[in-house]
Amino acid sequence: MQGVLDGIRVLDCSGEPGFLAGKLLGQLGADVVKIEPPGGDPVRRRGPFWGMRVDPERSLPWIALNDSKRGITLDLAKPAGQDIFLRLCRTADVVLETGMPDDLARLGLGWSELARHHPRLVLCSLTPYGQSGPHAAWRGSDLTVVARSGNLHCTGDPDRAPVRCSLPVSHFHGSLEACVGIVFALLDRERTGRGQHVDVAMHEAMVMPNIGTASMAAMNGHRGARAGAFIRQRHSVQREIWACRDGYVSFALRGGPARVPGLVALTRWMAEEGMASERLQAMDWATYNHNLLTQAEVDALSAEFAAFFATKTMTELFEAAVRRNLMLAPANTAREILASEQLAARRFFVDVEHPGRGILRLPGAFAVVSSACPDETTIRLRRPAPRLGEHTAEVLSEIGLDANELARLRAEGVV
Amino acid sequence: MTALFEGTTILEFGGGAAGPLATRYFADHGATVIRVESHQRPDFLRVLRLTPDQPGGLDASEHFAVLNANKLSVALNLARPQAVAVARRLALRVDAIAENFAPGAMARWGLDYASLVQDRPDLIMLSTCLNGQTGPHRAYPGFGGQGSALAGFNHLTGWPDREPVGPYGTITDSLSPRLAAVLLAAALLHRARTGRGQHIDLSQVECGVMCLSEMVATYTANGEVLSRQGNRSSHAVPHGVFRCRDSSDGRERWLALAAHDDSDWARLVEVMGHPTWTQAPGLATLRGRLAAVERIEAGIARWTRDQEAWPLAARLQAVGLDAAPVEDLGDLHEDSQLAHRGHFRPVDHPVLGRHPVETHAIRFSALTPSIERAAPCLGEHTDGVLRELLDMPPGEIAELRALGALD
Repeated sequence: MQGVLDGIRVLDCSGEPGFLAGKLLGQLGADVVKIEPPGGDPVRRRGPFWGMRVDPERSLPWIALNDSKRGITLDLAKPAGQDIFLRLCRTADVVLETGMPDDLARLGLGWSELARHHPRLVLCSLTPYGQSGPHAAWRGSDLTVVARSGNLHCTGDPDRAPVRCSLPVSHFHGSLEACVGIVFALLDRERTGRGQHVDVAMHEAMVMPNIGTASMAAMNGHRGARAGAFIRQRHSVQREIWACRDGYVSFALRGGPARVPGLVALTRWMAEEGMASERLQAMDWATYNHNLLTQAEVDALSAEFAAFFATKTMTELFEAAVRRNLMLAPANTAREILASEQLAARRFFVDVEHPGRGILRLPGAFAVVSSACPDETTIRLRRPAPRLGEHTAEVLSEIGLDANELARLRAEGVV
Repeated sequence: MTALFEGTTILEFGGGAAGPLATRYFADHGATVIRVESHQRPDFLRVLRLTPDQPGGLDASEHFAVLNANKLSVALNLARPQAVAVARRLALRVDAIAENFAPGAMARWGLDYASLVQDRPDLIMLSTCLNGQTGPHRAYPGFGGQGSALAGFNHLTGWPDREPVGPYGTITDSLSPRLAAVLLAAALLHRARTGRGQHIDLSQVECGVMCLSEMVATYTANGEVLSRQGNRSSHAVPHGVFRCRDSSDGRERWLALAAHDDSDWARLVEVMGHPTWTQAPGLATLRGRLAAVERIEAGIARWTRDQEAWPLAARLQAVGLDAAPVEDLGDLHEDSQLAHRGHFRPVDHPVLGRHPVETHAIRFSALTPSIERAAPCLGEHTDGVLRELLDMPPGEIAELRALGALD
C-alpha cells in the first residue's frame, strides 16, 4: 500500500475551489485523476507564471495546488466525453466537482444518474451555497461567500470596508470540508456497500472560522466588529499586531493565566535592556486579569511594549520568543517561512522536478505519520501537477480504449 | 441505519479551539467523545472570559459551550498518579485519541503514542499543536493568532498601506481541525481495512502553509513575495466591498461584488443604467479596468451608497452577477440559506439555558449530523464513564475522589 487511501480512485473534475481537496486525497495515496476541458482549466491561463513566461504549464496557482494528481482532458459537453466519463466512473470510488448544482444533471451525469449506474460511487459537490435552498442558484466566489459568513464583517479596520485575505480562504476551508465528507462517505460505504452524495457549501464552511462567535452572537448580542490590529475585550481595546523594525509581530495581552508567563518573560527581557519602566517591573502578574484592565492600563502597558518592539527585527523578536517563551509570533511573509529552521528541521518543503521547467520548492507532506508499516501510512507529495493532458492516453488505456479510439477522440476534440 | 460512528469512542485531551473542533465532526455522527479535563488546569476556553464574580464559574463559558456540544467530560487531575492510571486505562479502551497539549506533555504522563502502542498495537492517536511534535520550535507555546501570523495569513490580510490584520478568528484554529478530522477518519478507514493503527503529528502552522502553497510557489519560483491587496484581485475588476445604506437600526451595511469577466462587467453596467463614467474607453476589457480600478470603485461606491444591500444583491444575482451582502454575526441567524441547511441547532445547557450551536458544512444523502446534547459541565460524566467504560465499582470511584484524582 502507498498511503491510507491507496486503492481509492478519485475523478477530480473540480475547478479552483476544489484544487486543494484533490491534492490532499492524492497525498494520502488516492489515485486522483484530474479531468480538465480540452482547452485546460482557466487557472492555467492565470498568473503569476513561473519565470514570468505566460504558459499554461507555468501557472503557479495551478502548479501549487494540483500536485499528486494525474491529468487528462475530456470534453464533458460532448456525448462521447460523457460516455467515457461514465466508463471512468466504473473504476472510480469518488467524483469531486465544483459546478453549479444543476450542471452535472444537465449533462446527464447528475447524482441520480451516477448512483443508478454506480451505486458504490461517492459524489462530492463543493459549491458556494450548497445543492438546495433559497440561494443554491446564487453565484458565489471567495469574496462573496466570505461576505455572507460573518467572517468578512469582522476582518479589517473599523474605518474602512471589510477586507478579505488575498488568497481564497473559502477554497481552503471548503476543500478540507469536502475531504472530511469524502472520507466519512467512504467509511460509511465500508458498512453499507453504497456510496452517497456529499454536498459541501463554502458559505456554510466559512461560519466555523468565526470560532464559535457566530453562535455566541445569539447569546450575548455581539454582532462582531472590525478592530484592525486590535481586539475588543470587556473593558478595553487591546493591540494584537505590533510594528517592529522590519515588519510586524503578533502579541497579545489577553489569553488567561496561560499568557502570563509570556508577559513576565517579555518584561524581564525589557528590564535587561533597560527598557522597562519601574511601574512595569512592579506589575503584580499573580493577580493580572486582562479582562479587568482599564483602557488607561492597557495603553500604558502597550506604549512600553510598542517602544521595545520598534527596536527589534521580526527575526530577533522570534528568536528571543522561542528562547524565552514570549508567546509572540512574527507576521511572516513567504521569505521568512521558506527560511524557517523549524520547517527545515521537519523537512516540510520538498524540491519537485517539473519536467521541462525545472525544480520548484513546495510544501510537502501536510502531516507526519508514524506507524508499524510506514509505506501504508506515509503522506507525501507524490508527483508534480500534471501538464495538460499528460496522462490522457495512460488513463484511457486503463479503461480499455485502444490507440485507434484515442486518435478518433482526439480528432473529434473530445480529449 | 445507525449513525456512522455509533459505538466509536474518542478520548480527547487538551482544549482551546483547534483540538475540540476536530472531534465535533465525529460527535455529530454518533461518536462518543470524552474530554479529559481538570478543575486544576481548566480548558483555556473555560477561563478566557472568566472573572471572579462569574455565576456558574467554569461551566458558564459561552465560548466553551458553543464549541464542545455533543461531548462528555471526565475530570481527572493528572497531577495525581492515580488519575494518570485511570487516563491510561481509558486510553487503551477507546478507538482513538486526539490531543492538542504542548509536545511532551502526554509523554510526561506516559500517555504518548510510544508508551501506549505497546499495550494497544492498533492505537490511533492524533497529536496537533502549533509547530508539530518535533523540531527546534516544538515546545514553543502559542495561540491561534500566532499560527495565523507564522503561516503567512496575517501578512496576506488587510490593506497594503496598513498593518496586517489576519482573517478574523485565528484561521489556523479552523483549518487544522478540518485537516485533523480528515486524517483521523482516514486512519479509521485504514484500520478497518488492515487492522493497523498510526500516530498523526499535525502542525497547525504547516497546515496553514500547505493551504498557502500558491504563496510558497510564487516566492520559490520567482522570488516574489505575495502581500495583502485589500479586496482587489489581479484578474477581476471590480472585486470589492461597497458601502450601502445603513440599516434602520443604524448599522453599516456593505455589498461584496465581483465582475469576473468582460461579460459580467457589461451586465453590471446595464444594471447600473449605463452611467457616463462607465462609457470611458477601455473599460470593456480587464486590462482597461485594472488601469482604472480606483475610478471604477469610486463609481460603484456612489451607486451603492443609497441602496439597500439585500435587494441590491438579489437584483445583481438575478442577472447572474456575483454579489452578496456582508452579514454580521447576528445576521447569520436570519440567513435563510443557513437555516435551510440547519447550520445552527438549539441545545439546552444547564447554566446557559437554550442556545444555538453549529454543525459542519457537509450534508450527506445517507447520513444526518445530529446534536444530542449541550457541552458538558466540567466532570459531569466522570462517574458514568468510569463505571461504563472501565467497569469501575462505586467504592473505587469514591476512593479516587477522596485522593483528589477526580478533580
